[in-house]
Amino acid sequence: MTARGLPFAILILLIAFAPLVVHYPELLTQALIFGLLAAAFSLLLGQLGFLSFGQAVFNGLGAYAAGLLLVHVAHVPILLALIAAALCGATGAAIVGLLASQGAGVYAVMLTFAFNELAYYLAFQLRDVTGGDNGLRGVVRPALFGLDLSSNVAYYYFTATVFLIVFYALLRVIDAPFGHVLRAIRENEARARTIGYDTRRFKVTAFVISGAITGVGGALYAMLYGFVPLETVDFTTSTNIVIMGILGGIGSPYGALAGAGIFTLLSDRLSHVWAHWPLLLGVLFCTVVMVLRGGVLQLLHVKRA
Amino acid sequence: MEPSLIAIEILNGIVLGVIYALVAAGLTLIFGMLDIPNFAHGAFYALGAYVAYTAMSHAGFPLALIAAPLAVGIVGIIIDALFIRRLARAGHTYQILFTLGLVLIVQESIVLIWGPNPLSVEIPRGLTGGIALGLISFPYYRVFLVVVAALLIAAVWIVLERTKLGAIIRAGIEDPQMVDAIGYDVDRLFTIVFGVGVALAAIAGALVLPLRGGQPAMGNELNALSFVVVVIGGLGSFAGAVVGGILVGLVQSLMSIVFPAADEVAIFVAMAVVLLVRPQGLFGRR
Repeated sequence: MTARGLPFAILILLIAFAPLVVHYPELLTQALIFGLLAAAFSLLLGQLGFLSFGQAVFNGLGAYAAGLLLVHVAHVPILLALIAAALCGATGAAIVGLLASQGAGVYAVMLTFAFNELAYYLAFQLRDVTGGDNGLRGVVRPALFGLDLSSNVAYYYFTATVFLIVFYALLRVIDAPFGHVLRAIRENEARARTIGYDTRRFKVTAFVISGAITGVGGALYAMLYGFVPLETVDFTTSTNIVIMGILGGIGSPYGALAGAGIFTLLSDRLSHVWAHWPLLLGVLFCTVVMVLRGGVLQLLHVKRA
Repeated sequence: MEPSLIAIEILNGIVLGVIYALVAAGLTLIFGMLDIPNFAHGAFYALGAYVAYTAMSHAGFPLALIAAPLAVGIVGIIIDALFIRRLARAGHTYQILFTLGLVLIVQESIVLIWGPNPLSVEIPRGLTGGIALGLISFPYYRVFLVVVAALLIAAVWIVLERTKLGAIIRAGIEDPQMVDAIGYDVDRLFTIVFGVGVALAAIAGALVLPLRGGQPAMGNELNALSFVVVVIGGLGSFAGAVVGGILVGLVQSLMSIVFPAADEVAIFVAMAVVLLVRPQGLFGRR
């Protein structure tokens, strides 16, 4: 086994045995879904160096695409719902990426932000389609080739399988020449362009990959709770994704996953103990931004060295 | 549609627009001039409303209008000096991220100190009642709000454009090293400008309190809108922030009677179009 394979093998084991330790399969499923969202975000910020404030747009597109299919069409296979979500997320991301990649720096960030607000108010107003602020209700969870997923443990293992496949693919993408080009753009876009790379195409492709993964995350979430809340496209969801990605360490998808785990655990466990936990989250987040750019993952590396 | 209804919506649009202009003027100082994309601007607006609420119950409304910007401005100065200034070299991304964390901290601190329930405040004594305009009546308090906001905006504009201090600040933005070399402490000057920008948001929150009440998340909508205004008006253009603010207020107010389903959508479409077609904004020079 290669050095790269070891962390992934450990991850598989952790995910496989997690339900034996933590007896809340719903919470674990949610952590994995958030892990997907944060990892998809880390491709944009960690690799490409683009701060996307519009991840909730792709999340919402995926959730509503899958949700509408499952609500209105009978006998939709679960994988078809996920593919539809990935396609819709990717399409939205292609448009946002195409438009945002022509602007520079903070203007591009503002543009993703504007798209997020736009998507939110559209989803809010199109209540005949989306259910508005009541959410889209009645999303069913289909069986997988006859395999019943209605129990939360079964759905956890389904989500875990999807997660591991996508996560592995993302790791390969980052290691591939494609990933090197993204980092070259992050370090110096003019230089990457001078070498001969069509940087805009690489940026849009990164957006498409990120959007597809985020769309899948949205669909998995919709099937977990049986409905699509309006918060799916809320700007707060975008900022939560940003926070998760940064907390764990934006440099690698593992960091993003760690951040999602910490966030899910804090928001679930700590909110029972102390209602003002967002204060702690804010302080933690600001501390990471000020002094611990590598996120929580950086602490592990320091210890190891 | 009744003409008087349109007239009142235009007046309300101007009131709304003046609030946006005031908050956006503060953001123009911070984002447009100092180049700090402060995503916590709306949070400072909310904090201003809450500080004013407490000050009002102890010392009355006029003092609250002084206490809120002063207290929140000082908070802003401390945060800038301790944290945001140190992130300048790390770039926009980290400044945005830090201020994003700041929103969580400020918003949750408000809940911790004042509780999660919405505030409601009566119109201050002496400002109740309204001006009769034919069949309708326009509240005095709204007139007061527009006058105070206009005076504040004018004062900041005069300081920036017509005084030596303003000249030093503008020179510092153009060429900080040169101004530093002449003997002015640019860092300290900019931290004070940051504080003034935050104070403008805070006093807007205080002024809005008797009109719309307050709640911990009240800053989120205004944060988004003030970025819209600054982008549409033109980054760094003070006149752009004022005209953009009133424009957005009017559009929002008139859309609410013509086509209520699309008022927010229209504003963010406008922002996206400006960013794509004319990123320097309506009044920007860059």
